[in-house]
Amino acid sequence: MTATEARPAAAGPGIPRRLIRLYLASRRVPTAMAVQVACALVLWIALHWSWDAYGALQLPLLFETACACVIAIATMSPFGEPEHVTGRWLPWLRTGTTGALTAAAAVALAAAGIGTDLAGGAPSAVRNLAGLTGIGLLCAAILGGTLAWIGPTVYMMIGVYALYSQWHGPAITTPWIWPARPTDDLGAAICAGLVFAAGMAAIALRGARDEARRGPE
Amino acid sequence: MTVTAETAPPRPAARRLPLAAAGRLLRLELRRNAMLWLLPAVGVLFWYLAYRRTMALPPMWNVRAMSMQGTAIAVFIPTVVGAAAWTASREAGRGLTELLGATPRPRWARQLVAWAATTGWALAGYLVCVGALYAITARQAAWGGPLWWPAAIGAASLPALSALGFTAGALLPSRFTPPMVAVGTFVLFEASLQLIHGADSAWQVSPLVAGPWQLGNSEGLATFYRYLPDLPIAQLIFLVGLTAALLGVLGLPADAGGRWLRGSASAVTAAGILAAGGAATLAGTGRLDPHGMIAIPALHDGADDRPVPYTPMCSPAAVPVCLHPAYAAYLPAVAGALAPVLDEVAGLPDAPTRIDQAATMYRERGGGIDVDGPTGAANGVYRIVLPNQLPGPNMTIAESADTVRTNTGSDIVASVVGTGSDAQRAVTAAILGASDGASGSAVGLAAQRFSALPDTARHAWLAAHVTDLRAGRITLEQLP
Repeated sequence: MTATEARPAAAGPGIPRRLIRLYLASRRVPTAMAVQVACALVLWIALHWSWDAYGALQLPLLFETACACVIAIATMSPFGEPEHVTGRWLPWLRTGTTGALTAAAAVALAAAGIGTDLAGGAPSAVRNLAGLTGIGLLCAAILGGTLAWIGPTVYMMIGVYALYSQWHGPAITTPWIWPARPTDDLGAAICAGLVFAAGMAAIALRGARDEARRGPE
Repeated sequence: MTVTAETAPPRPAARRLPLAAAGRLLRLELRRNAMLWLLPAVGVLFWYLAYRRTMALPPMWNVRAMSMQGTAIAVFIPTVVGAAAWTASREAGRGLTELLGATPRPRWARQLVAWAATTGWALAGYLVCVGALYAITARQAAWGGPLWWPAAIGAASLPALSALGFTAGALLPSRFTPPMVAVGTFVLFEASLQLIHGADSAWQVSPLVAGPWQLGNSEGLATFYRYLPDLPIAQLIFLVGLTAALLGVLGLPADAGGRWLRGSASAVTAAGILAAGGAATLAGTGRLDPHGMIAIPALHDGADDRPVPYTPMCSPAAVPVCLHPAYAAYLPAVAGALAPVLDEVAGLPDAPTRIDQAATMYRERGGGIDVDGPTGAANGVYRIVLPNQLPGPNMTIAESADTVRTNTGSDIVASVVGTGSDAQRAVTAAILGASDGASGSAVGLAAQRFSALPDTARHAWLAAHVTDLRAGRITLEQLP
């Protein structure tokens, strides 16, 4: 064996590509992408159906939540503590993967609005997705990857109720419940963005919490 | 006998009943179940989404219990389904399937215990939440007792939701399964509500439905007549059947247990599917009964069609306003709103001697529901319907009283003094305290003049001239 062959994996210029591939596989990113595309497809099909006013407004939020849950759960590491000491790439890999999954989900959800009446349009879907993803990432950092779906799901229920309250009052107007705010509401966009930034920072710096009792892979 | 034989304690396993091991397993599952950690979130959601909304409604059992049913179940759908899916897929996620497969206990039995633990925590949380809501309503409600059927449907939904999540998690063990099945179930429930078009829709078997879907929270339901348990019974059969079918599916795979066990699982699955399908079919035979509830002929008890006996609550006045005791909170406001009119017309010919609240009648027409309130005078009794007995946005007590004054007050005056002539319009405006016509018009000036009279003088003039006034023989100039 030569000295070149024995060099640590991270040092070579072609190695990060392999590292990225392995990292994506360990986070089940291909499955996550497939699930996101499936969500967008089902939403696109559902939007062709005739919904009453409640359903038409609430339906996109449900699928945005599903995509956000997938992104948050994809942060779960199957390796736990040993992975933390393997190199300096980890924060970048986490950020890049989460960012890429969020971007893919945003594109998929926006595409679901093509030729359909997506409530709020693509900007609203992207805003809601970002905020929900932020909640999911924070949950992943606190509770662990497999339980990261709890935060977005609980928030989804509050969002559904807030949309309902637009008719039956008293209307919920706080920008922190952004799904119920109009697309052009700057405060709601800022709140969703702040939560997304906080979630990304938490995941980049700490990663999903290692769970002593892990859930399903 | 040896020392060993004398002192050695009997082996615990030898004395244990078979159920003791299951109990121990259940205790372990209860301690480490994900649903336990979700209960605070469920409590907050219940308070924010169900409790606040329900308690904002009038303190009437029918309104609060029927409103609570749908919102409480909606709160539990994603949390229970997600927690159950997570619990079911945990075994595979930790790579323990093969290891646990070597234990003497069948896989199906282990799964049922884990499902029971998830369901148990969910039920405990539900009972605490609904118990608090019912306890406070019991202190506030003026009449009647708790409606248990809506609470029972909510409780029966939890094992079914848990079974749904558990089966999905066991059959598709993946990190993505819990949120997908949780959100997916919520979408399915929401979609099922879109399919309800009329009282004969099989989709009413959804536990989110507490009554005719188009009516919403109507105070007119289940007050003068009984709450019909027909639809809840069908829903209960459906939920039990669904739970059995889903749990049975868990026992079908080859590694679930022995032949006898899998045979039992097949039988349970088949029975569950039959029960759920039968219940949905029953719900599809429903019809709207005249009192606003869903009646299912095969489950209907004719005794439930009789009106509920009650003693009305009446205001202490010359012409008393009498309401159903469930509406006791409305009595002071409604009696106060009608008092000026009733004091004015009391004792006059054709004036009512009593105001009574009537029950609303319901009839399905086209895609909607017509609600009729038999208002008007008969034998000296004037019958009214409060606005919240009718479909539409819920009004506060003060808003309801204002609406009654506007509608019923003018009807009562019109029935006594007549309508059409200028003098009748002026007298009506004076009694109702409303301006009639443009300011400064002849009718308006006459109304101001008449209303400026002392109460006794006005009443005495009306008593002497109401017959002529109603016959149109009084002119504006003849009004005092």
